[in-house]
Amino acid sequence: MKLKVLPPTLRKNNRYLTVDIKIDCPISKDDLVTIVWDACVRFQGETNTANFNLWVMKFYEMEKPDDYYCYKAIIRCQRDFVSDVRSSLALANKFNNSRIAITTIGLSGTIKASQKYI
Amino acid sequence: MFVDLNIKGSSLENNLVMANECLGYGWNHINFSYNQNDFKQALGFKDDLLNSLDDKISFDYTLEIKSDNVNEIRKIARKFRNKSSCISVVGGDLKVNRAVLENVQIDVLSRPYLKRFEGGMNHVLAKQAVNNNVAVELCFRDVLRSYLSYRSKVISNFKDIYTLYRKFDFPLILSSGAESVFDLRTTLDFISVFKHTGLTDVEIEKSFKTSAEILEFNKNRDKMILKGVRRVDDET
Repeated sequence: MKLKVLPPTLRKNNRYLTVDIKIDCPISKDDLVTIVWDACVRFQGETNTANFNLWVMKFYEMEKPDDYYCYKAIIRCQRDFVSDVRSSLALANKFNNSRIAITTIGLSGTIKASQKYI
Repeated sequence: MFVDLNIKGSSLENNLVMANECLGYGWNHINFSYNQNDFKQALGFKDDLLNSLDDKISFDYTLEIKSDNVNEIRKIARKFRNKSSCISVVGGDLKVNRAVLENVQIDVLSRPYLKRFEGGMNHVLAKQAVNNNVAVELCFRDVLRSYLSYRSKVISNFKDIYTLYRKFDFPLILSSGAESVFDLRTTLDFISVFKHTGLTDVEIEKSFKTSAEILEFNKNRDKMILKGVRRVDDET
């Protein structure tokens, strides 16, 4: 049986971060999920990360420049923890011994609005 | 105004890539830093870089002195004073930290905590920094490139410096120290990381202002007779 949808007052308020990802090797959406969770757990710890309500909503592959792969993604997090997620993602710098840079280029309240940063 | 005084400079092409990336990430001014051996060579392609960037983002050069010899640092600073918009010295050694903070010709003491177990500063050095108007630079790259216990230690060193900064109010600047596009972040990401290490919004804003003031001060440095006394062109 499916759970009934919560009334709006009981729902969590979300924000959507549009992130720019540069990496030496090609990655998939699942890899990004691992990267995001690892970065948050590492910088903020397990108890804090539990509050973030993290989810990778969309994942886009962008045109490849000469020396690295470029991706963009929309990541969901809870409203009051945007700054925590942002700083954690900014401090991710290695994935499988490849250099990686994740930086937030946009923030918005809906997925549709966050797509304008792609 | 978002100013970064320490982006590692290299060839013309690399500088161009970094500058364009910084422009996209919201930076207003960047300084490419070169050590004493490469600085003259870098001045050679400054005009080409200026033409290529086409005024999209302003840039300048920082001389980053790396030496353990106090006398050598003093000599190099005197030699390049008029050629660079900012002179910084990489700290870490206690003798170097002290000599730099006592020298009015130097603008920035970069990373006084480098390879140390503490912040590399005390109340004496903090007072010297205030008297001689030498800024202390904290580097984002040191947090980014380290991990686990090492990252905690770097942040702990930052916190030691913040304590002194709040008491003595010496000039404090924040820089990325980026060596490639992988070390660059948007200005808001940069701010949020430093906010998590313990700085407030006002202090971060002040640090950007300090960076801009260093550049402004050095534009008029040759006309400065004493601190607060400047020769002005008599147009009347």
